Amino acid sequence: MKFETTELKYKRVPAKAPLQRGRAAVWQARLVLLVMINLAQLWILSAAVDAALGHEFRHLLPLVVASGVCWLISLSIFFWWKPVGSRQSGSA
Amino acid sequence: MSSDLPNVIKDVLSDEQDVRSATAAYQAEFPYERDEEAQVTRREFCNFLVLTSTALFVGAAGFSAKAAIDARSEHTLPPMPIDGAAELQPGSALNFHYPGDETAILVRAKDGSYSAFGQKCTHLSCPVHYAQEHDRLECPCHEGGFDARTGAVLYGPPPRPLDKIDIETRNGQIYAVSREVRGSEV
Repeated sequence: MKFETTELKYKRVPAKAPLQRGRAAVWQARLVLLVMINLAQLWILSAAVDAALGHEFRHLLPLVVASGVCWLISLSIFFWWKPVGSRQSGSA
Repeated sequence: MSSDLPNVIKDVLSDEQDVRSATAAYQAEFPYERDEEAQVTRREFCNFLVLTSTALFVGAAGFSAKAAIDARSEHTLPPMPIDGAAELQPGSALNFHYPGDETAILVRAKDGSYSAFGQKCTHLSCPVHYAQEHDRLECPCHEGGFDARTGAVLYGPPPRPLDKIDIETRNGQIYAVSREVRGSEV
């Protein structure tokens, strides 16, 4: 049995310009980096809780500093590591 | 019907910029609400990740600060007599509560000296007991062992010594006067 819809001519996706493909890649890279930083910060938070409950207070400051560095990297990715042109247009 | 189908699909499919176009056969044959795919854009997800990063940093800093402040603040506990401590035989132990409902254990060594500790194992809070034959405090849950005189970890998974309870003798009565939480570096 042949369905009618299989004969449909689908909407063709126009070939994306190289600049647009590059923007998409940069966006994906930003998201991947942010996800990895979030995972690292989750690990740091769990280590900080573990250290605090174990009264190992000398570990707390390095962990907080590491989390702060991760946060600063996140901010730098968010504010400055943008695809070319999106600073002017603001498009996603 | 086949002539109307492209228009029907076009109506159903989203015209959002962030929604992928229908390129596969199943997408045309089953034109579900593709608008839902546009509910989270890359920009929104990026914002969410940065906010999460901020929250995790604030959480880690806040939790660490609170733990450090709590550890430095001195809590003054009222002295409490330990009933039955004077009659405790050497080489035996007695359970009591100090402060409040916190469980504790008083150990009288074979030489007659007293020492008291929190009864919660520092691994996963199982109650420790005094093993007379080995003269040590043992946790039955995961086979942790503590020195009966100092509360230090002898073996097993506990990461730090037992909480130490300072005791004093006043008019022949044993009093618990303070409780100290100790870290692994102690």
